[in-house]
Amino acid sequence: MTKTLSLTSRLASLLTPTRRAFLQGAAATATTALVGGKAAPAHAFAYEPYPKDDELTTVVTSCAHNCGSRHMLVAHKKGDVIVRLSTDNGSYQGDAYGTDTEEKPQLRACLRGRSYRLRLYSPERLLYPMKRVGKRGEAKFKRVSWEQALSEIAERMVHLKTTYGPTALLDQSYAGASYGVLHKSDQIEGLLGRFLGMFGCRTNSWSVPSYQGTTSSSRWTYGTIEDGNEDDAFAHSKLIIMWGWNPAYTFHGGNTFYYMRMAKQRGCKFVLVDPQYTDSAAAYDAWWIPIRPNTDAAMMAGMASHIFATNRQDQEFINRFVQGMDPGTMPVWAQGKESFRDYIEGKSDGIPKTPEWAAEICGVPAENIIKLAEMYADTKPAALKASWAPGRAAFGEQYNRMAAALQSMTGNIGKLGGCAEGVGKGWHPEAVAYPYDENANIWYASIKSDRWAHIVLNYPNVKREEAGLWPRSDNLDGVVPNIRGIFWQGSDWFNQLTNINKEIEAIRKLDSYGEGESLLVCMDSTITPTGIWADYLLPIATHFERHDVALPWYKGHYYIHRPKVIEPMGESKTDIQVFTELAYRLGFGPAYNPKADRSYFDNPDAVDEAYLVDWWTQKVQLHQGVTSSWEEFKKRGVYKFILPRPHVAFQDQIEQGIPFQTPSGKIEILSTELAQVTDWTRTRYGYFIPAIPKWIEPWEGRGDPKAQEFPFQMITPHPRWRTHSIFNNIPWLRETFSQETTINASDAKRLGIQTGDTVEIWNTRGKVVTPVYVTERCMPGVVVLHEGAWMDLDENGVDRSGNPDFLTDDNPSPAGAFAYNTILVNLKKTELAHRPGWDQLASARSHVFRRDN
Amino acid sequence: MATTDKATLKAAILKKKREVYEPVVPAQQFGFIHNNVDCIGCRACEIACKDKNGLPEGPRFRRVQYLEGGSYPEVFAFKLNMSCNHCAEPACLPTCPTGAIYKRADNGVVDIDSTLCIGCRKCEAACPYGAPQFNVELNIVQKCNMCIDELDAGRKPYCVSACMMRVLDIGPIDQIDAGTYETKAVGPNDDLVRQVKSMADPELTNPSIRFVPHSKGRVD
Repeated sequence: MTKTLSLTSRLASLLTPTRRAFLQGAAATATTALVGGKAAPAHAFAYEPYPKDDELTTVVTSCAHNCGSRHMLVAHKKGDVIVRLSTDNGSYQGDAYGTDTEEKPQLRACLRGRSYRLRLYSPERLLYPMKRVGKRGEAKFKRVSWEQALSEIAERMVHLKTTYGPTALLDQSYAGASYGVLHKSDQIEGLLGRFLGMFGCRTNSWSVPSYQGTTSSSRWTYGTIEDGNEDDAFAHSKLIIMWGWNPAYTFHGGNTFYYMRMAKQRGCKFVLVDPQYTDSAAAYDAWWIPIRPNTDAAMMAGMASHIFATNRQDQEFINRFVQGMDPGTMPVWAQGKESFRDYIEGKSDGIPKTPEWAAEICGVPAENIIKLAEMYADTKPAALKASWAPGRAAFGEQYNRMAAALQSMTGNIGKLGGCAEGVGKGWHPEAVAYPYDENANIWYASIKSDRWAHIVLNYPNVKREEAGLWPRSDNLDGVVPNIRGIFWQGSDWFNQLTNINKEIEAIRKLDSYGEGESLLVCMDSTITPTGIWADYLLPIATHFERHDVALPWYKGHYYIHRPKVIEPMGESKTDIQVFTELAYRLGFGPAYNPKADRSYFDNPDAVDEAYLVDWWTQKVQLHQGVTSSWEEFKKRGVYKFILPRPHVAFQDQIEQGIPFQTPSGKIEILSTELAQVTDWTRTRYGYFIPAIPKWIEPWEGRGDPKAQEFPFQMITPHPRWRTHSIFNNIPWLRETFSQETTINASDAKRLGIQTGDTVEIWNTRGKVVTPVYVTERCMPGVVVLHEGAWMDLDENGVDRSGNPDFLTDDNPSPAGAFAYNTILVNLKKTELAHRPGWDQLASARSHVFRRDN
Repeated sequence: MATTDKATLKAAILKKKREVYEPVVPAQQFGFIHNNVDCIGCRACEIACKDKNGLPEGPRFRRVQYLEGGSYPEVFAFKLNMSCNHCAEPACLPTCPTGAIYKRADNGVVDIDSTLCIGCRKCEAACPYGAPQFNVELNIVQKCNMCIDELDAGRKPYCVSACMMRVLDIGPIDQIDAGTYETKAVGPNDDLVRQVKSMADPELTNPSIRFVPHSKGRVD
């Protein structure tokens, strides 16, 4: 069948002036069907006066919030006001309108990015610095000048450092405004870390809430977290096992979700292992294997057992590339010790990890474990995508380690269509335009991030292993920090870390030291649940209001220019402006920001441009072979790389025999690092971790005696209508999805609960209230509540917003994994009202946050 | 008792249409295509539409419906995504007392002239698909006009351009039906239908929309 000229190409042809002029001649009526065959401009738009896109100024920029990527946002503005946002249409790099190919796809923004105008212009925007006038957490602030705020903060910083030492200030920067090359907030070697480090007073938070179990596993196993393929590689798989992975919600960088659709069209089969039948399962028509939370490592061990028992493993791959998979691949120094295969076959503990053994634990019938094991071992290439979520659990690192064992025993590493993820960071971008030197990561103590409240509450009677202290080689080694202040930069951690009620207790402990003996500073574009607890709120310009370049850190290979689309709103400043000015007040201004002088606080444009030009010419052009000039890039707004082949992690290691970045140069199923540890308390882990992947019974599992009183296992995945807690205040997004608890229909029936009812969910740590959604798509015994709702406590300490972190435990896994998905709870119907957002609070936010006296 | 005889109903519908309205027959009717299966239900299209049309909370020109069924663990789910279907025989149009609703002769887009709308909401009640949306702040009814300004500028509507999965598209409905229209919304093994479950009978208005149905969403 002949396809007629596609609509897209006809639309594109209309956009080309010469073509258009030609069309106005003879062929006009035949080809301009879309405009009705008339040359006269249409005058049909009903909502006049209404600016059309072509009457507005078009500026290419991007989103800034963390799906792992940065999709394109195109601002259409009038004067200094953004009227609406569109996204990539394929034309901005200079190609025809509608260009959207497999090698150069459009970078279409998700619902969160598309709603950005409402965040930009939200009633929750911080427009000037504010100082607390009530009690901490009481949400009473008054407007102050930058001069007053910064002088008082600087003075207090000096006092706390002098009095309580170099660990007094806790760095809690996170990804709230993540990843511009110049402006960003980041936990690892970010702007705040450099600032506090140079000041000489910094306690670092080392474990990453999103994926520390996974990170630990990737580093032990492969020696790097760059174990990811680029998004387009997924289009080449024959089988994709989505293990706890829901790209329909997280989007997951670049065009991952779209390339998976291509894979499906090319015959790829999909499997989902998850307590929920997700939208990803529906869209990719996956075989759903429901699994009990936190039992993933057991099921994987059962699969490994069957693969070994039926000799389906890729023994040649194992022999060449893997350490410790079986007795034959044990290194000389570990001869006679337990290999992975020994463990699976029960050689040392007498328990063969058979599919039947696993079935008892994980609730998946043994025949399904066998079927999946055979599918995975027999299909080439196959991608077992071991997502981060199951790793956010007690002993979550064992799940990721076990997945790596399966990936390597089937030889699916370093091959197009296979998968070694793990963390999954793909293409390596040039990420740093801001000053980066030996001061990037100075710290005097470094703790597991979710242990701060525990440390504050129990100081000084805290053991180093409880704090998860990173070892040092000087006299500060093992010294538990005396935390007296917190900087939250682009971070809503007070709302997002585990066990919020314990955090509130810790704030009360700081209060008890007396006014002036502690300091809480929150730097963000909007008020946040965390900001409510701060002493100072500093208004930070959004990425629409500062000059930068966006890059994907996870998947996708492109840069997007982010000009200053509009002037900073109110008295907003960038993070670097604030840190630079504070550094001047504290005596290290020129060293903190070498290209700037003190006028930077008032006009950063020339300096920002200079940093970005350096980055483009010294890094992008020099290292990445880009010939396009900085001016050309700015004019276009986007630069998409065309890679010579889909980027696949470890392809060179497998094809060319280049060693892996591990101590042995091999994929370490037996970890050299872990096997050498003799005193676990002196490691950052604090507690024993086996050198080979093992199933370890989690606390608060079904076998825990607490399960009598709290019979439901709760998981707290990422929502798609927020980025963690960002965008929770956006009316459009709250209209499309609501904060609700998902529960299986049979459980609901037993409890007399129906969709639309309100429930209270509680355990010993807290209580929350949400509406309920009853479905067959959730495993019995499991309840699901998405993270990130803005906490909203009533007078009895019940959170009416439904933030699950009132229920989570602040006890991390040894390798640092947050136990976000290891929670036992109970629930029942309630008369208490759910409050979905602050707009329904008794005191209107405008009164709380905009007072001038 | 309500009649279940389809033929009787069809005749009655035809009679009513003849009595009240002679529909505009456009030079070329544009319509939507939506892939019910491959849609991940992310609602980027909905938000893009809200932003494009500057809508407050309340009116939703585009609505992604979530449909699910089966019993644990044998379950299924799919999405049904609709805005205005720019029907060949729009039910809304003849109900409008001021003539604010009109159908364009060039591309068949059904639009409302907001300067003529008095907010009586008769169209809202008449539409079998829930397309007209009452805007409380403006006290008028509004709905999707397929981003007519974008069409005039040679671009596709905001919802289509927003679709991350490329499962929503527009095109000339005759070409879509003939299978000659090139679109990413339809995969190599997909077929198209006029009606799926949870949707009113297309005989009522002849809506300009086609679907790639889920196996459990098929009507016949």
